[in-house]
Amino acid sequence: MKAGDLIIGILMACLGLIGLYAAAGALDLEMSIFGWSLAGFAVVFVFGLIKHHYDDVDAAHAAARHAAAGGAGHE
Amino acid sequence: MSDLALDTASARFVTAAPARHVDYNEDIVRKFLIASMFWGVVAFVVGCYIAAELAWPQLNIAPWFNFGRLRPVHTSAAIFAFGGSALFGTSIYVVQRTCRAPLWGGKALANFIFWGYQFFIVMAALSYVLGFSKSREYAEPPWHLDLFLVVIWVAYLVAYVATLLKREEPHIYVANWFYLAFIVTVAMLWIVNNLTIPVSIYGSRSYSLFAGAQDAMVQWWYGHNAVGFFLTAGFLGMMYYFIPKAADRPVYSYRLSVVHFWALIFIYIWAGPHHLEYTSLPDWTQTLGMVFSIMLWMPSWGGMINGLMTLSGAWEKLRTDPGLRFSVTAVGFYGMSTFEGPLMSIRSVNALAHYTDWVIGHVHSGTLGWVAFITFGAFYYLVPVLWKRTGLYSTRLAAWHYWISTLGIVLYITSMWVAGIMEGLMWRAYDAMGFLQYSFIQTVVAVHPLYVVRLLGGIFFLIGMLIMCFNLIMTVKSPSTARGNVPGAALAAGA
Amino acid sequence: MPTKIEKDEYTGKETTGHEWDGIKELDTPLPRWWVNVWLVCIAFAAVYALLYPSIPLGSTYWKGILGWSSSQAVAKSVAEMNARHAALMKRIGELPIMQVAADPKLKEVALEAGRIAFAENCQPCHGQAGVGRVGYPPLDTNFWLWGGTLPDIQRIIMYGIRSGDSKAHESQMPAFGHDGILKPAQVTTVAHYVATLFGIEKPGPTTAAGYKLFEDNCAACHGPKGQGNQTGGAPPLASRVHLYGDTLAAIEYQINTPRGGVMPAWHTRLDAGTINSLAIYVHALGGGE
Repeated sequence: MKAGDLIIGILMACLGLIGLYAAAGALDLEMSIFGWSLAGFAVVFVFGLIKHHYDDVDAAHAAARHAAAGGAGHE
Repeated sequence: MSDLALDTASARFVTAAPARHVDYNEDIVRKFLIASMFWGVVAFVVGCYIAAELAWPQLNIAPWFNFGRLRPVHTSAAIFAFGGSALFGTSIYVVQRTCRAPLWGGKALANFIFWGYQFFIVMAALSYVLGFSKSREYAEPPWHLDLFLVVIWVAYLVAYVATLLKREEPHIYVANWFYLAFIVTVAMLWIVNNLTIPVSIYGSRSYSLFAGAQDAMVQWWYGHNAVGFFLTAGFLGMMYYFIPKAADRPVYSYRLSVVHFWALIFIYIWAGPHHLEYTSLPDWTQTLGMVFSIMLWMPSWGGMINGLMTLSGAWEKLRTDPGLRFSVTAVGFYGMSTFEGPLMSIRSVNALAHYTDWVIGHVHSGTLGWVAFITFGAFYYLVPVLWKRTGLYSTRLAAWHYWISTLGIVLYITSMWVAGIMEGLMWRAYDAMGFLQYSFIQTVVAVHPLYVVRLLGGIFFLIGMLIMCFNLIMTVKSPSTARGNVPGAALAAGA
Repeated sequence: MPTKIEKDEYTGKETTGHEWDGIKELDTPLPRWWVNVWLVCIAFAAVYALLYPSIPLGSTYWKGILGWSSSQAVAKSVAEMNARHAALMKRIGELPIMQVAADPKLKEVALEAGRIAFAENCQPCHGQAGVGRVGYPPLDTNFWLWGGTLPDIQRIIMYGIRSGDSKAHESQMPAFGHDGILKPAQVTTVAHYVATLFGIEKPGPTTAAGYKLFEDNCAACHGPKGQGNQTGGAPPLASRVHLYGDTLAAIEYQINTPRGGVMPAWHTRLDAGTINSLAIYVHALGGGE
């Protein structure tokens, strides 16, 4: 589901930008909190996507190394 | 777990059906369950606090604690946060299992749905407490939060439908019809009722696109169908999976499920005006709301019949399975509420009941008795399965939960019935000379003790909830429920 | 998964042949009673929709065979209730109030009408049965700011106090503290004197000086002995009933930044019969003058 990760990542980035615009122009407290929170949420979420991606890459490498070394693997 | 069977000849556990390994996304289900339990506690605590405020207004100690701000926190937390998270979690579990297909869209989409929904919940609650609200019941969030939820909701719908398209069994199981009806209809309701014109794109205030009696009609078309599709159709989907699963019995009648499903979703949509009887809404609209509510009675009871009669051949399980006890009691309360509703829709009954506490009693027999109980039943089943435990940490605690909560519900609804009828009768009382007998404040004074009883009922319900949370946390963490303890059990692939 | 119809031993019914995660369905027919009750409900709905307003038809709607309308039903019900006392209430409104009070039958009706009109209109400020609270005069004691005879009470209800109505009672206490008429120390001194009138303090060393200040500034309205003045609406101070509270702080506050409550002019909202009834009811509450 790599394409899915990318699409969601782009979607979240857009939402984050919207959040920044909202916070920048916010006329009341609620919009300001919403904007900053959305921007923060987007940042954390995209970081999470990137982390999971590289976790999976590392796990795949580890599994490949295991199989190559002929060790008895689980799964 | 259902794939395990005992081969009596060899006395060994075997997989009953040749189970193909499916990589179900159970992570998102676990997350939603935890979220649901957390928000449930929040919802019930806030509910108890506002019940206390109604009895003792001195408890309105600061703007953030005022009844006006906390009430939507309670309703949103109960409906969207507690109920919604439970629906998301169970629907995603059920659609994957009944289709034998993993959730479409991968981990990213699933996490987007989960975290996005939690973000919506937190932002909405924060908005209310800060004093921002559209002032539409169950649709209080400011306009930009409404739009945000639509994005999450579309993602949810896409993931759900795409998973359905990958199903193994060509027919779609009835639980999924109900879940799908919930997802699609709530989207429509949410979008239409929340059509507003923001004062500024950078501000949270907005004006409704509708006005006057039309606005009231749109709001209660939404409000009633929030109950009908969010709290009824969605949870019927839950019921249709977890009761046959826990009872290990086939669903009573396929034909009944088809007929009552279509009847329910067609008729429910029309019932909204019963919230506006004897208001300035046109009489013809009120009549339609009333008669459709009456025609809704049997379609709703179709769900009750199917739920209860599925227990045929498995009634003795009620003695040993506390989760199933909750589910079956839930269906009983569902039957009661879906009789009470049409009854209250009748014009002459409504003339007495409207604006009284009977309405609140009716709401809570449905939300506590049906929605919460069926959710508890699902949780007691799901938690051991999802965390791969042998069973519940303590069935005794679950029994305590059951009885304390039931007592809480009974206190709640009876106090509100009495208060409601009292209010209705006092408000309309005239003496021999044609003068009103009671002033409004006299009715407030009269129902005050009943408000205290209602608070007690709510506290009992909260205590039950906390018992369940403790029990389920221990189920997950305690070594006594660890899988390795069951000798000779082979883990079925994909179980 | 191929359709695999099985027989359920317990109920004797067959399954539909489909299976989802171990769940199967029986092909039990629709329960007869369920279908019948539903059909009865549908029939009821159809008949009801014929009898009552139900179907929108462009710019009009089906008005129903019974010709019923909710607004007419309510109006009829209210008219029925009013009819029971309409004639009597009309008389109560037309006659001079002393005559109403003298007639036992009219007085009985007035007390009843006054009771509920009070509960609906006056109670929010004056409290249940006129107990009053800080800022809102009690009506159940013999404490009358503007006079307590029946015509006095009737006039107050009609035109209000400081309501803006041309016939309303008006009065304004000078802001002795805020406007600098008295210095802060003087305010405190005279407040202590007033406290002795209230009965919450015993006379002390400052009482003589306080009395001098009182004579020069307050006696003109409140009377040399603090007995009050009903023409000007100046409350009696030598009294056990206090409009703005019982404490020295309350007295000082009132001298510094005096408040003057506003009562609406009810003649714009209530008919003559109701107003006269209210006057008779209130007069009976406190032992009017």
